[in-house]
Amino acid sequence: MNIVVCVKQVPLVGEVSIDPDTKRLRREGVESGMNPFDLYAVEEGLRIRERIGGRVTVMSMGPGSAEKTIREALAMGADHGILLSDPAFAGSDTWATSYILTKAIRRFGQVDLVLCGKQAVDGDTAQVGPGIAAHLDWPHVACVFEAVNCDNSRILVKRMQETGHSEVELQLPALLTVVKDLNQPRVPTLKRCRAARAAQLEIWSSRELATTEGGIGLAGSPTRVVTTAPPPPRSGRTVCLAGTAQESARALLQELRMRSMI
Amino acid sequence: MRRPKTFNIEILSPKQNVDDLEAALRVFAEKYEQALTAGYGICIPDNPLGKLAFHGVELIEELSLPAAEGQVSLHLNTFHSFSDFHSILQRTANLGIDDVLAISGDGSQRLPKLRGRDLGIEVESVTSVELVEYIRREFPGVFKVGVAYNPYEPEADEWEKLERKLAAGAEYITTQPIIDDHPHLTRLLDLGVEVVIEAWMSKKLHLLSDCVGYEISPEKPYDPVGNLRTLMKRYPQCDYYLAILGFKTQFPILPGLLNNEALT
Repeated sequence: MNIVVCVKQVPLVGEVSIDPDTKRLRREGVESGMNPFDLYAVEEGLRIRERIGGRVTVMSMGPGSAEKTIREALAMGADHGILLSDPAFAGSDTWATSYILTKAIRRFGQVDLVLCGKQAVDGDTAQVGPGIAAHLDWPHVACVFEAVNCDNSRILVKRMQETGHSEVELQLPALLTVVKDLNQPRVPTLKRCRAARAAQLEIWSSRELATTEGGIGLAGSPTRVVTTAPPPPRSGRTVCLAGTAQESARALLQELRMRSMI
Repeated sequence: MRRPKTFNIEILSPKQNVDDLEAALRVFAEKYEQALTAGYGICIPDNPLGKLAFHGVELIEELSLPAAEGQVSLHLNTFHSFSDFHSILQRTANLGIDDVLAISGDGSQRLPKLRGRDLGIEVESVTSVELVEYIRREFPGVFKVGVAYNPYEPEADEWEKLERKLAAGAEYITTQPIIDDHPHLTRLLDLGVEVVIEAWMSKKLHLLSDCVGYEISPEKPYDPVGNLRTLMKRYPQCDYYLAILGFKTQFPILPGLLNNEALT
């Protein structure tokens, strides 16, 4: 089974600022790391490989610094990393990004399964995964929270819906976007981290991918950000739980569970 | 003269996202060997503040560091997968390290959390009490197990937790950093259990506030070495856990402190 996991480097801070001119996030000088949802996609790729064999390749589109994110995935156990990097990719919206990733997946050759995080926490669009599936004309399922079964020709998954969940079986090749309930990403060992930092990565530019000029960067991006504004601040509130210590502990537990905090 | 192990020196392990990992490993190894050669105890925390860092056992293995008997203490918290948790204990024992500080620890979304069923018990949330019980059950006689005591928490609650930790088999207590003195120390010493007092060796007290979860702001500017001297004078029977020790400026003066000359 050849599995490709698409990962993205995102700012790892609670508050990011937006450039008023470009309407894009200011990423300079901000600590960055792998998009949290992508960790679950990498972990699931590794688990499938461990169950039925194969290889896990990690791809990321971004500047040279995105190499660090690919190495994070290698440290978890991925076999191979490819960075898609070219100044011409700058400014790509979700459509252009999914086009570039699609070109890379096609260039890679035989791919059976593509895994992506549900969305990146910086843009929050949740469009790139489905966009790749659209470009590839592959079946896809979004918001997968359980991979029930998988062999070399099909995969059975559970996807999250607003009112419950549904079970879907897909013929491979296919694409899944995943949520955090799917698994618990492993913590890389020191030995793997050292190996990952020394590993050779492939770097593919627009030339290797044979992307069209009008399909990438700002020119290939139909999205126009008209305005941006910070969300209204969340107001804190204090809740008093009445009753005995046991009753209030039970109520607190219930409240935390309802908010998916435990 | 006090025996050198009176000082247990905390050495922070490199974080996983450090830019130059090899340089960070070299610094860690240098500090480790320096402390070991001087005869002090070495304590390696486990993902402090929930930040992903390398565990002491893998650092000692990977860097082929010596693990002199009785000199190294590894912290172990509840934020591990069960297989990692058990493996850490097994490998710690294999290295001949016989001291583990069992703590609940700080979590983060990136870290797994031990579940009661992992340890074969029927509790929802695993704390250091369950860690001590597990270590005692699965590794009988292998480790001297310590637990933490936070005097900044409400006394009744913290004391009740401490009693459960001791009942589970804990053999010594390490306090959270003490500034000047704390009324709970006398009560702790009256238990007749070995007490290791933590001394905060950084001038940055706001970091200490982050660690203990309560605002700590002394009236006068904080002097870490002066504080350690005061504590050693008051509690000469205790060992000291030196947190955030400066290896360039503070490490060289430790022998002087041990020779009592600085205590008068």
